[in-house]
Amino acid sequence: MRTVEELIELANAHLGTALAPADAERELTELAGWDSVHLLRLIGLLEQVLDRPVPVDAVLQARSLRDIWSAAVTA
Amino acid sequence: MGPPPVHLLGTGTALPGEPVGNDRLAERLGIPSAWVETFIGTRTRHFAVDLDTGRARWTLEDLCTDAADRALANAGADPSEVDFIVLATATPDALMPSTAALLADRLGIQGAAAYQLQSGCGGAVQAFAVARALLSLGPAGLGLVVGGDVCSKHLDLGQDFRDLPPAALVNYVLFGDGAGAAVVSGRPRPGARAALTHLEHRLAGLGLPPGQRVEWFGAADLRSGTAPRTPVREDYKAVEQRVPELARELRDALLTAADWSPESVDYLLPPQLGGRMTERITSELGRGLEWEPVSCVAETGNTGNALVLHQLDRLLPLLTPAQRALVLSVESSKWIRAGFTVEASDA
Repeated sequence: MRTVEELIELANAHLGTALAPADAERELTELAGWDSVHLLRLIGLLEQVLDRPVPVDAVLQARSLRDIWSAAVTA
Repeated sequence: MGPPPVHLLGTGTALPGEPVGNDRLAERLGIPSAWVETFIGTRTRHFAVDLDTGRARWTLEDLCTDAADRALANAGADPSEVDFIVLATATPDALMPSTAALLADRLGIQGAAAYQLQSGCGGAVQAFAVARALLSLGPAGLGLVVGGDVCSKHLDLGQDFRDLPPAALVNYVLFGDGAGAAVVSGRPRPGARAALTHLEHRLAGLGLPPGQRVEWFGAADLRSGTAPRTPVREDYKAVEQRVPELARELRDALLTAADWSPESVDYLLPPQLGGRMTERITSELGRGLEWEPVSCVAETGNTGNALVLHQLDRLLPLLTPAQRALVLSVESSKWIRAGFTVEASDA
């Protein structure tokens, strides 16, 4: 996973979301239909795709999808 | 002039086994415990089922018996004085015989009337409503109001939790098992701790889809493959939005019915959804007021029909003469707001 767009594709494919690349920078609280359970499922998906644990505390504090991607992928 | 007050003579509770912390639960479900801490805010819960083996260790009947035994002891009452039992649950051990009838048997009560309500988080309030109606019919003896749930029946520990739809997954971190009981009387008795004075439970979701749905299925469903894949579903988005609204409406309705000023209330027993959400609702409901909250969900998990009885069990020892408490619950199944007012008895 090299870009935040790939993270968005992953979420859309598995979480039933309809996120657009432009949503990467938006506050998670502003994303229609996004909630804490999506975040939990995304952590699980990222760990499967990356085949390693992601830093959960940092991901839970993320305010945008790009924050999540940075915390999980570039950690 | 409403119905006469229901005197609360004693309460008791039962929780199965040791508390299960978030680390243990999260490890078992394969999810990060930090997520449970951050978003659900429930610290511990108890399960009737053994988390390792999936084996049931307690039945609902066991838990209700323990809670009722403790309530009778707390009230200084003998089982032979009990005229009726009203038991509220969403998860009876069997459809027949009723858990209420089996509870009477376990307590050695002969000849009592036993009622069972199919209900959720507002169930204990509904059971008090039935008890109040029964007590108002005549100078009966004592009534036993019982509420409990064993959710483990529907917690399938053998599945991959990362594949569960969100509406099913949240149930694994929100709920816990437990039972509670109260001994009630239509007449004041020495030792009566408090009285339930105004009660209201009303459907409040005309035309709305249910916020919570729990399936049941039998042998034919299982054989034909039509048993639902997700036996427990919660529309937690709708719950997050509707419960605070309904709690506010209920608060105002009860204050009006009792003719109480908000400032005259000492304790608030708020709806118990999960630790975090209950904190939020509590601070909103009592904003600007010195209402002392009495909650249990962060330690017990959401025990459904037992919640209000667990809160009452915590409230009664705190009450001093003339103090007042407001009990608010919301059942998100078909959207029921259910609550009552409590006034401390004179010393």
